[in-house]
Amino acid sequence: MKYRYVAALCTVAAVSAIAALAWGSAAAGNSAAGRTPEGSGWTHPRTAWGDPDLQGVWRYEAAIALERPSQFEGREALTDEEVARRQQIETEQEAKRLAGVEGAEVGRSSVAESPIRGNEYNSFWQDHGRPRKVYKQTSLIVDPRDGRIPYTPDGKKAEARSAARYGIGPYESFLDPDTGERCLTDGVTAMMWQGPNGGHNQIVQSPGYVTILHEEYRDRRIIPVDGRQHRDIRQWFGDAVGHWEGDTLVVDTTNFLDKTNYEWASVWTRPSETLHLIERFSRINADTLEYTITIEDPATFSRPWTAVIPISRLADDTQIYEYACHEGNYAMPNLLSGARAAKKKR
Amino acid sequence: MRTGFRSAMIAVAVAAAAGAVLWTQVRPSASQAEPYRSPRTADGTPDLNGIWQALNTANYDIQAHPARPALALILAPPRTGVLGLVRATPTELPAPPVRALGAVGAVPAGEGVVEGNEIPYQASAAATKKENFEHWLERDPEIKCFMPGVPRATYMPYPFQILQGTNTIVMAYEFAGATRTIHMDKVGNSPASTWMGWSRGRWDGDTLVVDVTDFNDQTWFDRAGNFHSDALHVVERYTPVDPYHLMYEVTIEDPKVFTRPWKMRMPLYRRVEKDKQILEYKCVEFVEEALYGHLGVIDPATGHVNK
Repeated sequence: MKYRYVAALCTVAAVSAIAALAWGSAAAGNSAAGRTPEGSGWTHPRTAWGDPDLQGVWRYEAAIALERPSQFEGREALTDEEVARRQQIETEQEAKRLAGVEGAEVGRSSVAESPIRGNEYNSFWQDHGRPRKVYKQTSLIVDPRDGRIPYTPDGKKAEARSAARYGIGPYESFLDPDTGERCLTDGVTAMMWQGPNGGHNQIVQSPGYVTILHEEYRDRRIIPVDGRQHRDIRQWFGDAVGHWEGDTLVVDTTNFLDKTNYEWASVWTRPSETLHLIERFSRINADTLEYTITIEDPATFSRPWTAVIPISRLADDTQIYEYACHEGNYAMPNLLSGARAAKKKR
Repeated sequence: MRTGFRSAMIAVAVAAAAGAVLWTQVRPSASQAEPYRSPRTADGTPDLNGIWQALNTANYDIQAHPARPALALILAPPRTGVLGLVRATPTELPAPPVRALGAVGAVPAGEGVVEGNEIPYQASAAATKKENFEHWLERDPEIKCFMPGVPRATYMPYPFQILQGTNTIVMAYEFAGATRTIHMDKVGNSPASTWMGWSRGRWDGDTLVVDVTDFNDQTWFDRAGNFHSDALHVVERYTPVDPYHLMYEVTIEDPKVFTRPWKMRMPLYRRVEKDKQILEYKCVEFVEEALYGHLGVIDPATGHVNK
């Protein structure tokens, strides 16, 4: 399921590689330090009808762990030396990847460096034709201060169970693979920054709407920013309403469907009826979107938590492509018939 | 009496004709005159933003068709040899898998949307179309929640939204969450064939003209088995005719399947409900049981162990 459209992805990778060259070296500094200082000449672009203009194709390109790795315990920022070292590692790993080296040989320990588990398997189909950007943040999570997801005891158990069965099963029926493997979604919570092979997000604005097209699973959000209220209809992606606070787009999303009965690759991305998201999209310079998400859900977390994610703007001619996941999900019948055959053997 | 009535009718007709002439002279703009000019967006292009929907039965069958009992039919054999019964030819009845749906599963009649009502299939393609019709239940990609392709996405019984951004127009369809990006500026070629095509747009006066290429051969035009190949080339024209309607005209060209280009035409209606939105229709989870239920260790719908 995740292997198809390799051709399209290679094209994406090629475009990205070219774009990466155009941007130059990694943007050091934490996201706050990346803000364009006054007098730099950059002014926030506006749409023809006067809204702040966030349009373009955006992708998370940093190598910041979602949760703070244990070696950075008690520290929210890297030192300058650590940033330099990290940049050197990125450059070296990049060279290896461009030389055709794959997987663990690249030298990356996956979970600590990727927001989504599974970032390292089958790296040939992943979009790694670029060095990742280095920032000072030691974790995407900024609240709580320890940089860890504040799971409830039940939430922690669900996450541990999910981690233990990821890629292993059991897969008795089509309900047993995770929602991504079923070509449904990996969840709106991480949509803006997950997906090494589909982390591209195109933002298109029209009067009264901000539309976000996420390449992977073709996740789509059409967010009204015209002052309307939440409606009483539950959806996988909830009911999103947006408004502008200065140049920042603020999106409040409630009324999610309860999909906790499904398997999720990462439990923290699953929607339940009590999930509430508050997102802030701030374009802090021409090429950086500071995306802040606050996640509240007593069904999984003991308190709200907040992550700040620097997202990069790609070159003007970057496209997102059709993601026909379900249409070509050969993995599903193969997985199920394989499980059936394995059961017979025993 | 009759003659008198006829004279009176003629008089009425003459008066009406005269009135019509007078009326058109008084109000020339009402019939022939300047076409409707759509409002403009802030950057000066025609404003087609909104939620639109076709109201016809083209998704059942793009050609004119009477109502029929079901999309999947079987032929009940003739009945003879019993005194008082004469059914000389087979009778169409709903096929067993759709029988329980009753009137919900029946097909409403429709005038069709194909210009001239004829689809110019090549001979072998006409045979494939007939086969598709007969094997609808196994073959229609809509049943499997696959992306519907173009133009079918336009006239499925779900709304779609036109969102006009800078140099990009998004067409967001409710069915299967399918989306098209219409490139209004220069763009390279598609890297691969696609379900929803590769769309390049331009304005012709008030009309949005979209040239769509790079299709695969997997989508259909309707539930009647009308199909195309990967050589499909679609040109769509969206013309605002008043604030609440677009005229949708589409030219279909496919030298592997048809003998000449042909056209469809239909109005699209604006959904005027306050705060109307495109809602989720993630149908993948609705079709997994049909596609995969028999494949796993157990069928989750029944709990039965699959052989």
